[in-house]
Amino acid sequence: MEENENIVEKAVKALKNEQTPPGPSQELADATIAKLTEASGQSNNVTTGKRIWFIDWLKATNSFTKVAAAAVLLIIAGYATGRLTSPQPPDMKQLQDALEPAIRSRLLDEMKQYWQLALTSSYAQLKSELSQQYRSDLNQFAAYTLAASGAATNQLLEELIESINAAQTHDRQWFTTAIEQIELNRLRDNAQLTNAFASFAVQTEQDMARLFSYTQPDSSVPNESENPNNLN
Amino acid sequence: MQVIDWQVIIEKHGPTVWQTAYRLLGDSDDAADCFQETFVCALEISQRQRIRSFSGLLTRLATTRAIDQLRRRFRQSHCNAVSADWDAVPSTSPGPAQMAQQQELAARLRESLTQLPPQEAQAFCMRYLNDMSYRQIAKALGIKTNAAGVLLHRAKAKLRQSFELSLKE
Repeated sequence: MEENENIVEKAVKALKNEQTPPGPSQELADATIAKLTEASGQSNNVTTGKRIWFIDWLKATNSFTKVAAAAVLLIIAGYATGRLTSPQPPDMKQLQDALEPAIRSRLLDEMKQYWQLALTSSYAQLKSELSQQYRSDLNQFAAYTLAASGAATNQLLEELIESINAAQTHDRQWFTTAIEQIELNRLRDNAQLTNAFASFAVQTEQDMARLFSYTQPDSSVPNESENPNNLN
Repeated sequence: MQVIDWQVIIEKHGPTVWQTAYRLLGDSDDAADCFQETFVCALEISQRQRIRSFSGLLTRLATTRAIDQLRRRFRQSHCNAVSADWDAVPSTSPGPAQMAQQQELAARLRESLTQLPPQEAQAFCMRYLNDMSYRQIAKALGIKTNAAGVLLHRAKAKLRQSFELSLKE
């Protein structure tokens, strides 16, 4: 089956590949034209490179085209007739002279009115804008002043706090120094007193010892009965 | 009725008509007859109706005339064995056997085309010899594109059968 199909394709290819001589020859073309002219007989629709005249075109054109062409011609004719029969336009110069003063005065009045209105409205607008600007400037200035005074107050308060702190620190140092001095004095006095007591004790002990060890010489010793200091 | 400058038409479409006719007929005289008949037929048609596409019409007419002529030729020489033109095969060519085979295939295809119904043969030739699209074939034959496809399919099937039979013989 496929082989047969291939054969068909091969046959087509072979037929297509067959050498075809260039043609048609000029003689054949001329003969064909002659035959066509002959075959056309009385009909005039065969043209052979000649110019196609309007009459030929008119004969050959179908009815719809003819109707369309007639309609176009009719419209053009109507338009031309309308243009020709329309009334002539009035004298423009005369009309202009008649109308110019009235138009000018009216235009001046309108312009004056317009400018008055424009000035009034612009004055009111200017006033409103200026007051608004003044108010906004004042508000801005007040805000700046408040901000500046607040900053100055804060600075002064900070300085005061710093001076108070410095004074307190100075007092504390002085007080500490005084206490230290008192303590030193107390310790020195205590040491002196201790030494004094110690020397006094030693002296007393020596005196006591000397006193106990004292003996009255014989010759000079009075009668015991007479002596009031005799303890025995 | 159209105003047609036939000289211009012949100059423009003549080569295509000639090629179509010669390819199917394989003979200059027959091709010339076919050429003239095609244009005369086109003239007759133009007298009856407005022609929109001369290219399609002339190709169709040339194919129809050529197949008619082929049919006549094969009918006349039906008893004689169809053989290739062996004298035309150059013996000095690189593959004379192949060329002979190709000529025989072409001749067989020509013969098979005469056995097809006219519309199928026309559709086949327009498609495979003139490389026309399905739409162009449909327009030239005045049928729908699908119908053109059906015609081509049938033509191919019949040609295949014809070749099959010839191979069996």
